[in-house]
Amino acid sequence: MMKNINFKILLQKYSLIMLLIIFIVISTALSPNFLTPNNFLNLLQQASIPGVVAIAMTLVVLIGGIDLSVGSVLAFSGMITSMVVLNVSGPGGIIIGFIAGLIVSSLMGLFTGLLISRFQLPAFIASLAMMEIARGAALLTTSGNPVFGLSTEFNRIGGGFIFDKLANTAVIWIVLTIVFALILKYTVFGRSLFAIGGNYEAAMLSGIKTKRNYTLAYVLSGLLAGFAGILTASWMSTGQPTAGNGYELDAIAASVIGGASLSGGKGSVIGTFGGVFLLQIITNIFNLVGLPSYYQRIAKGAIIVLALLLNNFVSSEKTKKK
Amino acid sequence: MKKRFKKLTALLLTGTLALTLAACGNSEGTKTSVDTSDSFTIGFSNCSQDTPFFANMTPIIEDYAKEKGINVVSLNADNDTSKQNKDIQDLLVRGIDVLIINPVNEDGATAGIQACNKAGIPVITVDKNVTSGQTAWVGRDNIEMGRLVGEKLIDLLGGEDATGTVLEIQGTAGSTTMMNRRDGFNEAMKKAPGLKVVQSAYCDYDRSKAIPATQDLLQANKDVVAIFGHNDDMALGAAQVCKEQKFDEILVCGVDGLMEAVLKIETGEYHITSSNDPVLLGQTAVDTAIKYMDGETLDEFIDAGTVVISVTNAAEYTNKELDFATMVK
Repeated sequence: MMKNINFKILLQKYSLIMLLIIFIVISTALSPNFLTPNNFLNLLQQASIPGVVAIAMTLVVLIGGIDLSVGSVLAFSGMITSMVVLNVSGPGGIIIGFIAGLIVSSLMGLFTGLLISRFQLPAFIASLAMMEIARGAALLTTSGNPVFGLSTEFNRIGGGFIFDKLANTAVIWIVLTIVFALILKYTVFGRSLFAIGGNYEAAMLSGIKTKRNYTLAYVLSGLLAGFAGILTASWMSTGQPTAGNGYELDAIAASVIGGASLSGGKGSVIGTFGGVFLLQIITNIFNLVGLPSYYQRIAKGAIIVLALLLNNFVSSEKTKKK
Repeated sequence: MKKRFKKLTALLLTGTLALTLAACGNSEGTKTSVDTSDSFTIGFSNCSQDTPFFANMTPIIEDYAKEKGINVVSLNADNDTSKQNKDIQDLLVRGIDVLIINPVNEDGATAGIQACNKAGIPVITVDKNVTSGQTAWVGRDNIEMGRLVGEKLIDLLGGEDATGTVLEIQGTAGSTTMMNRRDGFNEAMKKAPGLKVVQSAYCDYDRSKAIPATQDLLQANKDVVAIFGHNDDMALGAAQVCKEQKFDEILVCGVDGLMEAVLKIETGEYHITSSNDPVLLGQTAVDTAIKYMDGETLDEFIDAGTVVISVTNAAEYTNKELDFATMVK
């Protein structure tokens, strides 16, 4: 009996880590190229930009919202920044480009946030509208054409490596994850997000500035998505108006695999980190083994279900005990 | 005070929206020109405008037709087959003499095309074709494009005795263009039995998907000598991975003649592409419409032609102002 309980506690705390370990073991068995330093470094780079987008998504999922616009905002800010970098030469252009991209994407987040918190639009609809607006705007900037011919200095930011091995974007992803984990845990704002997502009325009554913080979460979501867009443009050395298509769904999946609840109040950016990594491992191992990508999508769906069932199993056990 | 702020914001938001809509309305308007005696109106239904190739097509057709004194009404179907059918209906109502259509897919526009047939309006398909009802198809032979790149690649690798692994980064699953480029390329590869082709997962012609696929395939395969992408955008991603991981000897090739690729051929980071120039394609479509109106009989398939671009001739096609290498001089 004792053993049984221990197992459950273990499962509850470490279900994602266990899932990750299981997948790493399977993948290692399937391909000799999987567990190599090089592949691991590739994985980190591949997961980094979706990873930053997933942090954005986790913030709004925490408050019980959703942000379908992250992929489009990513594209729009990438376009803005690359157009500035193309037209303003030198380091000044890069700095102005970064600032312009980040301001525009935060404003888009602000707009979505205000629509939800002040005008009571459903988060799904408001962010769906922003998804359309931002994508249209991204296409409009150059009438659908990509921006290319960006400077090597700009390319070095998102496409560079530390010690010639570890991608800059991977470092950025890890640092951002740690920063947001600390914000969520130790700041008043961070903790208020859990309260708002858990019980909006109660949070409001207990004196939390719910509307302001709700909007702020969306501003951060836009800002992070925009930052991811600048990194994408810098990494690929081109601004693509179609970039980030479908990223919102991967980000939602990663947040949920990482333990977030779509009804709010539950989740963590560390868990999301694991979720993104797990999803990337699936693509990676299928590529290494050389299976058609149809299987990849089926497997991806199955993993999402599996991770959620595991989560549900754990939490239902918990409530039963009470 | 608060309430007033709310009202003001609401007003502002609505105002912005209205302005945006108005702006959209303006840019979609008809391009009218001087009516000459033998002038007519072309309706152009484009499948989408969100890739450079398709986005370029609309202004190319509009501008070229204007030069020839022909009116064009163009509509964009946003990749939606039902919208494309409605667009065609709207064009018929506006009174067009010829329909030029780049269909979303082979069968999606059937209803609209039947309506044209019934009204006696000729249908010229451009780029992609439809299964029935068209008067002529102005397009390109994608099998040929794949084959030409394959042949040039064998050439650059030192002839039919070449050995090694060739990675093939695939486009969108089920797309005819993808299958034709794949088949043409692999047909050419058969001439060099020492070259083994390894196909990637489908990367949807998208650079950000081609990059991880290339990284993984380079991890899983040794002695890679070349990478072929089903379009230049994906192959450019592969070229970037090769540069990052210092595989300088790998030859990277694609299809489309994207200017970014042509410029990189000159710097040695890219090696072969086969042109797929929307300017020539669009202009040929307009010329075909003119021929029809002049009473000429049209061939069923009108090939807009392609040219292989590699280090030997890249300079001829370099023009930073353009998005695609063009055969129009």
